[in-house]
Amino acid sequence: MTRNRLTSQPFRHLQDRIATGLITAGGMGVLLAVLGIGVFLVWEAMPLLLSGNTNALTRLSPLAWGTLKAALMALLFALPLALGAAFYSGFFMSRQLHSRIKPTLEMMEAIPGVVIGFIAGLIFAPWVERHLASTLVLLIWLPLSMGLAGLLWHLASRRWQRRLPLSWAALWLIPWLIAMFMVALWLTPLVEQAWWGGDLRQRLYLWFGLDYVTRNALIVGLAMGFAVIPSIYSLAEDALTEVPRSLMEGAQALGASRWQAAMKVALPAAWPGLFSATMIGAGRAVGETMIVLLASSNTALLSASPFEGMRTMAAAIAIELPEASAGGTPYRMLVLAALVLFLFTFLVNTLAEVVRQRLRRRYHRIGGAS
Amino acid sequence: MKRLKSALRQGVWPWLCAGSVALSLLMLGALLALLLTRGLGHFWPATLDEVTLANGDIVAGEAVRELPLPDQAGNERLYFIGNRDIDDVRWRWVALDSIAQRTQPATLLRLERRTWGDFIGYLEAVDVNGQRITGQDAWQQVKQALRLPTLQRAQYQLTLRTPQGQTLRQSLATVLSAEAPNAMSVGQKVQTWGNGIWQFLSQGPRAANTQGGVWPAIFGTMLMVILMSVMVTPFGVLAAIYLNEIAHQGPLTRLVRIGVHNLAGVPSIVYGVFGLGVFVYGIGGSLDEWFFDEALPSPTFGTGGLLWASLTLALLTLPVVIVATEEGLARIPEAQREGAVALGATRLEMITRVVLPMTMPAMLTGVILAVARAAGEVAPLMLVGVAKLAPQMPLDGEFPYLHLERKFMHLGYHLFDTAFHGEDVQAAIPLVYATALLLVLLVLVLNLTAILLRHHLRRQRGSEC
Repeated sequence: MTRNRLTSQPFRHLQDRIATGLITAGGMGVLLAVLGIGVFLVWEAMPLLLSGNTNALTRLSPLAWGTLKAALMALLFALPLALGAAFYSGFFMSRQLHSRIKPTLEMMEAIPGVVIGFIAGLIFAPWVERHLASTLVLLIWLPLSMGLAGLLWHLASRRWQRRLPLSWAALWLIPWLIAMFMVALWLTPLVEQAWWGGDLRQRLYLWFGLDYVTRNALIVGLAMGFAVIPSIYSLAEDALTEVPRSLMEGAQALGASRWQAAMKVALPAAWPGLFSATMIGAGRAVGETMIVLLASSNTALLSASPFEGMRTMAAAIAIELPEASAGGTPYRMLVLAALVLFLFTFLVNTLAEVVRQRLRRRYHRIGGAS
Repeated sequence: MKRLKSALRQGVWPWLCAGSVALSLLMLGALLALLLTRGLGHFWPATLDEVTLANGDIVAGEAVRELPLPDQAGNERLYFIGNRDIDDVRWRWVALDSIAQRTQPATLLRLERRTWGDFIGYLEAVDVNGQRITGQDAWQQVKQALRLPTLQRAQYQLTLRTPQGQTLRQSLATVLSAEAPNAMSVGQKVQTWGNGIWQFLSQGPRAANTQGGVWPAIFGTMLMVILMSVMVTPFGVLAAIYLNEIAHQGPLTRLVRIGVHNLAGVPSIVYGVFGLGVFVYGIGGSLDEWFFDEALPSPTFGTGGLLWASLTLALLTLPVVIVATEEGLARIPEAQREGAVALGATRLEMITRVVLPMTMPAMLTGVILAVARAAGEVAPLMLVGVAKLAPQMPLDGEFPYLHLERKFMHLGYHLFDTAFHGEDVQAAIPLVYATALLLVLLVLVLNLTAILLRHHLRRQRGSEC
């Protein structure tokens, strides 16, 4: 027994030291490899930047514009929905519902981009082309009908108010929205016929000179908005629920309604968190490849029209890079595009992370007592 | 009126917020419902119509959908009519107003053929060994003969008649399946439906990916994901242990940690560019020069392949594994580590006997999430080795069995390619739906497993601490 321990003790320490060294080397190696992506991109794009070839930059500008346009359209659609959903599930939703809805919405993030792109490009885009007026009307009508539901609720009798409480509204509004959707689909063609004499697409061309392309920025915005809602929602909701309870309770004790407390107390406290959620959503939208590839016409245009297509940097890389020969100018240009994407998302995410850590420290300070 | 005023004062904003949750759920539900109905509905044997038009034309086929006519009142209906060898079109739009008569004859058949796609029409007679069988017996004979192996089927010669009255002869050896959907009972339809799904999962694609199944794509996806997890798990865990247990917890480590977290947000296509530049052109090109120079200039490893694809995806999912494992490591109470060291364990023993077993569920969660991410990722694969139709499987009976340099098929890319580069997209869409459904189910099930595992882990830890 004693002998055994004496012989094994130095061996154990040696083993420990060797293993620690190996783990350190392995860990460092992995981290370096991962961080080496940036180094590689800079290295490959450097010759192009140093050569002062402005031609490549002019070729990149429509791509950059397309990327921005797609991301903006996506955020325009996703931000109100995601932030609204975050406010609702942070402050109004019943706990029971919350534990089911949040994972469900977060699962949305897992749906592969190629599936969303396929539905958007091949199914949704032709439908929108046929029902352009209805789609545009729906974009306004659905939010209005949600407000209408609120007004009706206030006017309803107490019994109905108890039966359909606000804390469960996320569920019982679904049939209401479906009904409103149907109403809009049924009414719009009639109105379209009466006011614009039928085809809105021709009217758009006559009035504003807008061409309509089947796969356009509107479709990309809606599809990519769908894809970034969950990431914005999840982070924004975390930021809102982490607001110290004592703050909210204090405001409500002083007579504020729950909405007032949310707006006047939680929003100012949590806005850095909401901002970082938006930034991360923007990062995702900028780099998303498959949705843009499938749902936009992939023509490099410098147009601001929501009814025309675009080509983003990510899509250009996916289409052109396999055909570009290694080391040539087109290859380096696409690597440069990848570098821009990398830097943008990396910076945006770092900014968001720093803001979030600061916010957490601040919450800790204010809510320390609770 | 008073109530309306109070309603306006309290505001409708909470309802708008509730509505956005409802709308998100509605969109998610609509997407899943669409995939489920279209993806599974495609395999249901559809009723075949025979339509006589006002001008005397006869159209027989499967009604696909109806749309309003352009510039006129009324609807038109799209029919899948098959018989591409006879009139070179497979689809026909028919205005509803022009239909004089619509019947569903029980003897109308649909044959799936090896070439020229589907045949829709009638069976006139079967010739076997010089004998001619006609009428209802012929159909019974064909049904029995279809169970025979292909070689023996060659002695059966079918005489077919199109709905328009043309006859043609077809060897039974070139017929894959035959059904008379209008005469089927519900039970038979369910059986055919199940068979269809099984064939979709187990067979290779035919007719430029518009028919057949997706088995090679499923296999390629699985093989790639397995290779990827074999690579990503040890390295990810190693990096996480280093960051959390061994590295000095200073500002540099914090910076590295933020860097790793943020790599999870870098677009996947950027990893694809890295994979192409470093793995394929860099390492693969050098490997070719050293070991495979007799094959040059045609590249062996210097082009996209299974190995480079799984390496690229391993790199892409590394942050996912590192973050999840680190989260698990951070949850272990410091007292456990101190206790182990106080009892005389070295750091290695503390890590392997105390820390690692406790982080096991977190690690597993990380790996499952990584697999889910990798299974749905297509963009980087387009650069590093996926093929629309791989002639050879990457795993076969030929030495060295696992061919890391071969290109492979992937479910997501198969979907993308069939939907966008197919010659007859209309015919491919049902299969694309089915593929999309398969992919979504795969990814959702993996994610659900990870969520449940994490939930389980948290509850367990909660009772321990």
